[in-house]
Amino acid sequence: MASETKLAAGLQYWIKCKELQVKLNSKISLALVAGMLGSWTACGAPVTSPGYSYVKSLGGIDEYRLDSNGLDVLLVENHSAPVTTFMVTYRVGSRNEVIGTTGSTHLLEHMMFKGSTNFNDAKGNSVKQYLESVGGAYNANTWLDRTTYFAEVGNEFLEGYMAVEADRMRNLLLREDDRRPEMTVVRNEFEIGENDPVRALDKEIFASAYEAHPYHHSTIGWRSDIEKVPIEKLRAFYDTFYWPDNSTVSVIGDFKPETALALVKKYYGSYSRAPNAIPVVYTEEPAQTGPRRVEVRRAGQLGVVGISYKSPAASDANMPALQVLGSILASGKTSRFYRALTDKNLTTEVSADPGFFHDPSLFQIYAYLAPGVGHEQVEKVLREELARVVKDGVTDAEVSTAVQKISADLAYSRDGTLAVAGTLVEWIAAGDWTLYSTYPESIRKVTAADVNRVAAKYLTETQSTTGWFVPVVTP
Amino acid sequence: MKSQGIAVGLFLLASASASGGIADKVIRSSIDGVDLIASPTAVKDVVTIVGSMPAGDAFAGSGNLAVPTLTAMMLDKGTTTSDKFAIAQRLESVGARISFSASEQTLDIQAKCLRKDAPAIVHLIIEQLRTPAFSPAEFEKARLQLTGAIRRSLDDTDTRADIAFSRAIFPAGHPNRKAAAEDVLAAVEHATLADVKAFHAKYYGPAHLTLAMVGDLELKPVQAQLRKDLAGWHGGVPALSAPPATPPAAAVTQPINMPDKTSVSVILGQASGLRYSDTDALALRVGAAILGSGFTGRLMHVVRDREGLTYGIYSGVSDDTFTDGDWLVGASFAPELLDKGVASTKREVERWWREGITQEELTARKTDLIGVYKVSLATTGGLAGTLLRTVQRGKPLSWLDDYPKAVDALTVDQVNAAIRRHLKPDNMVLIQAGTLPKGK
Repeated sequence: MASETKLAAGLQYWIKCKELQVKLNSKISLALVAGMLGSWTACGAPVTSPGYSYVKSLGGIDEYRLDSNGLDVLLVENHSAPVTTFMVTYRVGSRNEVIGTTGSTHLLEHMMFKGSTNFNDAKGNSVKQYLESVGGAYNANTWLDRTTYFAEVGNEFLEGYMAVEADRMRNLLLREDDRRPEMTVVRNEFEIGENDPVRALDKEIFASAYEAHPYHHSTIGWRSDIEKVPIEKLRAFYDTFYWPDNSTVSVIGDFKPETALALVKKYYGSYSRAPNAIPVVYTEEPAQTGPRRVEVRRAGQLGVVGISYKSPAASDANMPALQVLGSILASGKTSRFYRALTDKNLTTEVSADPGFFHDPSLFQIYAYLAPGVGHEQVEKVLREELARVVKDGVTDAEVSTAVQKISADLAYSRDGTLAVAGTLVEWIAAGDWTLYSTYPESIRKVTAADVNRVAAKYLTETQSTTGWFVPVVTP
Repeated sequence: MKSQGIAVGLFLLASASASGGIADKVIRSSIDGVDLIASPTAVKDVVTIVGSMPAGDAFAGSGNLAVPTLTAMMLDKGTTTSDKFAIAQRLESVGARISFSASEQTLDIQAKCLRKDAPAIVHLIIEQLRTPAFSPAEFEKARLQLTGAIRRSLDDTDTRADIAFSRAIFPAGHPNRKAAAEDVLAAVEHATLADVKAFHAKYYGPAHLTLAMVGDLELKPVQAQLRKDLAGWHGGVPALSAPPATPPAAAVTQPINMPDKTSVSVILGQASGLRYSDTDALALRVGAAILGSGFTGRLMHVVRDREGLTYGIYSGVSDDTFTDGDWLVGASFAPELLDKGVASTKREVERWWREGITQEELTARKTDLIGVYKVSLATTGGLAGTLLRTVQRGKPLSWLDDYPKAVDALTVDQVNAAIRRHLKPDNMVLIQAGTLPKGK
C-alpha cells in the first residue's frame, strides 16, 4: 500500500509549498519543536548597524531591535546553500479571539494574500505572483499564539520578497469584495477538517478542557463565525495587531548581517509603533476540579481513545521532562504503550505529546483502536500504564534512550532554512526564542527523577479530559 | 554499474554553476549489484538515506494482493539474529530511524541517522531486507495492523477517490492499478506466512536495489560495510512494464457516497500514456503546472481566488516513473458547491486544452519550476529524493543539471501540442467521494 495517496500527496505538496495552512490544536505534533544550531554559523561579534540596538546572541542567533519602531530582528546565518528564508511572525493567534471572531486570525491570514497598496494582482506583482515567478517556496500559517508568513528564496530574491512582505504589514487592501469569495474558501478548509472524525474529537477535547481561556476554540474557528464575521472586525484585528512592535522578522540562511539589517530597515523602518498598546490576553483558565469526558459519534470504521492532561506553557522548566515522558510512553517499539497496547493487538498506533504553546496547554494521548477492540479495554490499559509510571517511575535506561531520540530529532530539524524557520517560530510564539538554543541542553539534562516528578504532577485524574470517537456503522 | 563519481566535496548550489554541475558532486558506485548514489553535503551530522527495490504491490500479480505489503511490514519485526525490540533499541539508542513501505512498484526505504552511525544503519537496512525473522506471532500482528490501516483509510475521502481513479484509468494487470480496499481486506484474511516467505525469496535481492545517501557523509566506511553485508546475496528483479493505458471511449463519472462528510474529494483526469522519459512528458508536466500549480496556476486563480469554490485545487502528472502514468486535477468542494465546482473545473480544463497556454504563462512557470527545483536541493531529504527519482526514471545523473535547461528550452507550441496529443477532454474520468447531494 502506498503510504500516501495521490490526492493527499498532491494536496500535501500544494499545502506545503503554496498554501495558507491553518494548524489545528493538537494534531500537528510538536514533538520536534526545538532545534540545535550545530553547523549553523556561530555569529561572531554583533555588527553595528545604524538605527538598530543589539539585544543579544545565543546559539548562533543574533537579535537586534529597530530603534524607530521596536521591530524585533533575528539573524541566523548558514552558508551551505545560496538560499535564504525570510519569516515574519505576528504575535497574534486564535488565543486573541473572542466569541463572534473565532477564526478571524486565520481568515485575516488568507486576506493577506489578496493584495496590498503597492503589490497586488492588478499590478501583476502580488506576493503570489512575485514568489512564483522566482521559484520561492512560500507559505503562511496561523496557530493558537501566532501568525507567520515566510518564503525560502534564492539569495538574489531576498530583497524583492522583503519589499512585498513589508508592504502588507501596514498597507493591506482588505476589501469586502475579496472577503466574500475567501470566506467560502476558508469554510471549505473547515469542512475538510471536519471530514476527519479524530480532528473533530480533538476540537471537543480542547473545548471541554478549556472553559474560560481562548484555547477553548480551535484556530479554524466555529463555522458560523467564519461565515459571518464582518470585514470591519477583520480591519480592527489588522489595525490592532499588525504592527512592527508586535512582530519578529527572522532572516535564516546565506546572507551578510549588515546587508540583511539594512534591508529590513529599508522596508520596515518607515512604519511607526502601534498607536495603542497591544491588548494582553489576561484570561486564565480556572482550576479544573474533576475529570471530564466527551464523545463523538459519527460514521466511521474504528474507534479512538484520547486522554488529555493539563500541562504547562512551553517555556516552563518542566517541559523538557514532559517531552521525555511522552517519548518513553509512546515513541517507537521500545515505548510502554507500544508494548502494552500495539504489540498486544489492542491498538494500531498510540501517541503521547505535550503541547508547546504560550499558555498552559494539554499533554495529549491518542490511542487508535485495532479492529474488534473496545474503547473500555484500551482506556483501561492506558490508565494502568499511566498509573504505573506515576507510581513506579521510569528507569535511567528509558530516559537515556528518550533523550538520545529527541536529541537526534533536534539535529534532523535543522536540515535546511525552512526547517529551522518552522521550529524557531514556535519558540518565538512561546514568548522566548532563546529556548530554541537552550532547549537541546535542557533535554540532555533531564533525569529519571525529573520525569517522575512531572508524571506525578501532571498525570492526575482531576486534570484530565477523556474523549472517545465512537464510529457509527451505517447500513 | 560503473562508478561515475568524481569529486567528493561539499554540495553547494552556488558552485553548481560556477565550478561544475550538481552531478559532479555525486558519487555513484555499484556494490554487488546495489546502485549506491551518494552526495556529501555541508549539513552538520545528519545523513538521509532513501532507497527502493522493485517488490511493491503490483508484484502480487494474480496471487494474494496483500502479500507485498505484509512482506514489507515484516521487515522491522525482527531478523534471524535480533528480535524487533533489540533492533528498535539499536536504532533508538542512537536516535536513528529506518522505515519500509510498499508502493505500487517498489519497496521503499527511508532512514535518517547521525554521521557516526551511517555504516551501522546501512548494515541494519541490509540485515532487515535480507534476513527477516518471519515470526508467526509477528505475522498475525501484521495482518491485524494492516486490516486496521485499510479500514481506517475507508473513512478518508481522498484515499477513496484516489483508489477509484486508479482503477478507472488503468486496466487490470497494469502496475499502477490499485487494488480495491475490500479485495485487499479479504486477501489479508487469507494470506499465510508461507506466501510472504515465498514472495521474499522470489523478489528480494540486491540486483535492482538503489540507495541514495546525502548529508554529512563519510562514504568509504559505508561502501566497505555494504560490500561485507551484501556478500553472497543474490536475486532481485526489474520493475514491471506494461502497454500504455488508453483513455475510455466516453466520459465516466463515478460517485462514492460516504456518510457524515462535509467536503467532497474530486479527481478529474485520465491516463496520460506517457512515461517520464518519453518525448512530450516534460512538456505535459509544464502544461499541467500552468493549469494547476501554486496560487498563480489557472485553477487556483479562477476556481479558488475568483469564485471561492474550493480550498484547494491542483493539476499534475504522476505515476510515470516506471510505466505510463496519469494526468489529473484534484480538488475539494462542499457538497452544496460540488456541481458549481466541477463545472468550473471542467470549463477551465477545456479552455486550457482548446486555447492552450500563453508565452507569458510559460515564461513565468519556467522560472518557478526551475527555482523550486534548485531550492528543493538545499536539504538532505530533497536532494536524496531527487537522486533516487532520477535513476528510477531511467535518467542519467547528468539530468540533475540538464533538467533546468530542458524546462527552459520548452516552447509554447511544444507544450500545447503535448496537451492536445495526449489528453482527451471529452473522455475524462470524474470521481467524487464524500457525502454527495441527492441524485448523485
